[in-house]
Amino acid sequence: MMRTVSAAETAPTTHPWAVHAEGLRVRAGRHLAVDGLDLALGTGVHGLLGPNGAGKTTLMRALATVVKPADGRLTLLGQPVDGRADLRRVRRALGYLPQQFGFYPRFTVREFVEYLAWLKEMPKTAIPGAVQRAIDRVGLTAKADARMKTLSGGMLRRAGIAQAIVNDPEVLLLDEPTVGLDPEQRLDFRTLLRELGADSCVLVSTHLVEDVVVACTDVVMINGGRLVYQGTPDGLMAQGEPGDAGDSPAERGYSALLRRYRAEQGR
Amino acid sequence: MRWLALYLRSRRIPVALAATVGSVVLMWSLWTATSNKRDVDVQMVILTVLLAVATLTATLAGPDDALEHTGSLPWPRRRAAHLLGALAVVLLLLLATLATGARFGPAGLVLRDAAGLLGLTALGAVTVGAARSWFLPLAWTLGSLVLSLPDTAWAQILTWQVQDPRNTAAGLTAGLLAAAGLFTYAVAGPARRAPAEAAL
Amino acid sequence: MSRILRIELRRSAAAGTALVLLVAGALLLYASTDGWASGWMALAMVQRQYLVLLWPLALAAGAWQARREQRSNVAELFASTARPLAQRVAPVLAAMTIAVVAGYAAMTAAAVPWIIGTVSYLPTAVFAVLAVGALSLVAAAWFGMAVGRLVPSALTAPGLAVAGIGLLLVLTPTAVGGHEGVTAVFSPTQGLGLFGDFRTISGRVSAAQGVWLAALAVTGLVLLAAETRRARTAALLPAVLGAALAILVIPRGGDFVESPIDPVARELVCTEAGPRVCVSRMHAGLLAEVEPLARQGLTMLAKLPNAPTTAAEDTNSFLDEHAQPQRPDTVTFNLRVDSDGHLADDRTFLPEMLNAAGVNAYACGNELSRPVSRAAAYWLMEREPTAGAHDPAEETAQTRALWQSLRKLPEREAAARVASVRTAALACESLDGLLSRSAA
Repeated sequence: MMRTVSAAETAPTTHPWAVHAEGLRVRAGRHLAVDGLDLALGTGVHGLLGPNGAGKTTLMRALATVVKPADGRLTLLGQPVDGRADLRRVRRALGYLPQQFGFYPRFTVREFVEYLAWLKEMPKTAIPGAVQRAIDRVGLTAKADARMKTLSGGMLRRAGIAQAIVNDPEVLLLDEPTVGLDPEQRLDFRTLLRELGADSCVLVSTHLVEDVVVACTDVVMINGGRLVYQGTPDGLMAQGEPGDAGDSPAERGYSALLRRYRAEQGR
Repeated sequence: MRWLALYLRSRRIPVALAATVGSVVLMWSLWTATSNKRDVDVQMVILTVLLAVATLTATLAGPDDALEHTGSLPWPRRRAAHLLGALAVVLLLLLATLATGARFGPAGLVLRDAAGLLGLTALGAVTVGAARSWFLPLAWTLGSLVLSLPDTAWAQILTWQVQDPRNTAAGLTAGLLAAAGLFTYAVAGPARRAPAEAAL
Repeated sequence: MSRILRIELRRSAAAGTALVLLVAGALLLYASTDGWASGWMALAMVQRQYLVLLWPLALAAGAWQARREQRSNVAELFASTARPLAQRVAPVLAAMTIAVVAGYAAMTAAAVPWIIGTVSYLPTAVFAVLAVGALSLVAAAWFGMAVGRLVPSALTAPGLAVAGIGLLLVLTPTAVGGHEGVTAVFSPTQGLGLFGDFRTISGRVSAAQGVWLAALAVTGLVLLAAETRRARTAALLPAVLGAALAILVIPRGGDFVESPIDPVARELVCTEAGPRVCVSRMHAGLLAEVEPLARQGLTMLAKLPNAPTTAAEDTNSFLDEHAQPQRPDTVTFNLRVDSDGHLADDRTFLPEMLNAAGVNAYACGNELSRPVSRAAAYWLMEREPTAGAHDPAEETAQTRALWQSLRKLPEREAAARVASVRTAALACESLDGLLSRSAA
């Protein structure tokens, strides 16, 4: 199902980067989870890798404007989002799937996605069509009128992806979107990602290195709240040496980068 | 003891106990501040029992009952002990006031109402889950306070919370509710609800 | 927004709330119907009385609904969306409002079939009373939602319900020391005055209650939609202003008439043809039931000279300051409505009507002899006196003795003695010995 594209969307963008962070510092509780991060993301699918506790989720939260940065500059779609900025305009073009996806159990999938579409201030007439399109794209058409509490883990995650993409966001943030998806659904998801990355900035945080390598145009690796590596998946694979831990070139590249970064920090 | 401490924390019992004590103290202070009679009005006693039982309803279910059910531990006796412990807490707090300047009594009324309401709450926890189990006890008790019916046996059963402590129909009703609640809760446990974020 | 409203009506606590209010309200109403079977105003007032249960339930429902966001862990997801908090809560607020109003209206509708056949008088004040009741539930739901959001604990809803009923039970004039006006403002179950026929609630009282409840609702709204602590303190403003304005509007102290009488309800509505039988406008629906009995009474009184020609309902109510004086050409009867809306206990109708040969002696300061009054009545009815449930045995024996003696007398003599009883009663003189004196 296609949708009409407004003139505003086909107009050339005035900002160089969809997401631009300079010296970003974000707190998670008392701990400074993101500590001086410089990041520039444009159109495409960016995979976010890193060990647990590296600050991935906190970074996603900051980019989703859920938490305010403690320090540094963060610009989304050309608008500064730190300080006391008006976030409504930015949030209308934002899509977010949190790591812990909370939902209203009694709502059906369609109702919940519609509710989120309304919360993102989509124009009223566009909502029903966009909701149907989002549900179709994630493959939940058969379950569209089932209550959320009857869904299995993977279906719930796909419902979460549906609500994130319903407003065709320019910045899409997905935190662990493939949890619970079976291999076939993961393949479908990769196709969806490539589609989405064609004209929006998608940031996918995942532990599944294979997904990153296959579906992403760009790999971002952070550790200890700082940027370790940003480059193409081929570049990641090239980093690895035969002696590094891992069963695939990507995993070896990942381990190599981590090893080198830790050695550097130790010095 | 270690298991007991962990169990208490898993059910968030310290917080609930603080709420129970706090609510009884609040009602006690309200009475002493506004009245100089020693015996508290029966309406206020019933409301205090209701409030104390309500503070303990959330403890009837843990964060993930389905997981706990898979353990080999014999749960029925522990659940029964939990419920009886809750009754003991309510009784202890309210009967302790009998020694003070605001007496929440008579003891028979407190015992009957606490046991009956806890039993009803336990039945609710088994059927609709602990989060909603206070609906029926609250609505029924408030309704009994408000309704004024002719003094027939049916009326005494329907408004058992407000009857005289020596009334047999009311006592039987409360006893039935308490026994049914204790038995079903011990055997079946709280209704198992999946945690909200089923994704992970 | 309407699609979202429909979703919220289906999926939030709205449907359950409406159902609970309807079931609880209907149960309370039908548990004892004799309080409200006599008229629409009585129904409206009894419904307001039962708000003592429904108002706390509405508070608890609002608090329970407001916890939904916290129970479902949606805070993080919603924080990334564009709509501000005030707009986000609007559909839920609307859904809960519709639910409580519908529940209250359904409670009224459930009572309608019981009295629709026998009640015809519908004053506009009834709608004011119902509206204040519905408004109180709306204010409770909004305020409950506000508190539920501010204190997102599992204990908020039951605690709020207990606090609510405690407040309503305490806010009675006896407990507060006689300030009826002020308790009427702050409690939707007060300000109703004494119950009884022909009572109404003055427009000023309803207006004052409406002002306070609207202020309470706005306070809840501000607390619910405010995102910062400073914005929340602004909620004090409507509360204080509303309370002050309501206390100014309500009649205070001596001005507060406890139970104003509705003069229109007291106006007499009479039959067209034949001997006139009149009932009050409030009981006009029962005229058909009363007519045969009243006419019977008039026929029985026709044995006396200067017999009354009209039978009218006694519209003086208890503690009435302006008691209507008794007219000699009218005999009054007491119209009581049973719990099913129809005429109550028609076996005592005639004995009461014909008491003291058709004279209502309550307006007299002194107590007239009861055996004489009753013997006269039973002689007119040509029936043996029956003992009432609460009559002392000695009195019944005296009545019987007098009645027997009357029966032995020739018709004219007995009629003359009963007529003298009537004349004396009309003048509020003592009746002692009038029936038993020797022929003069």
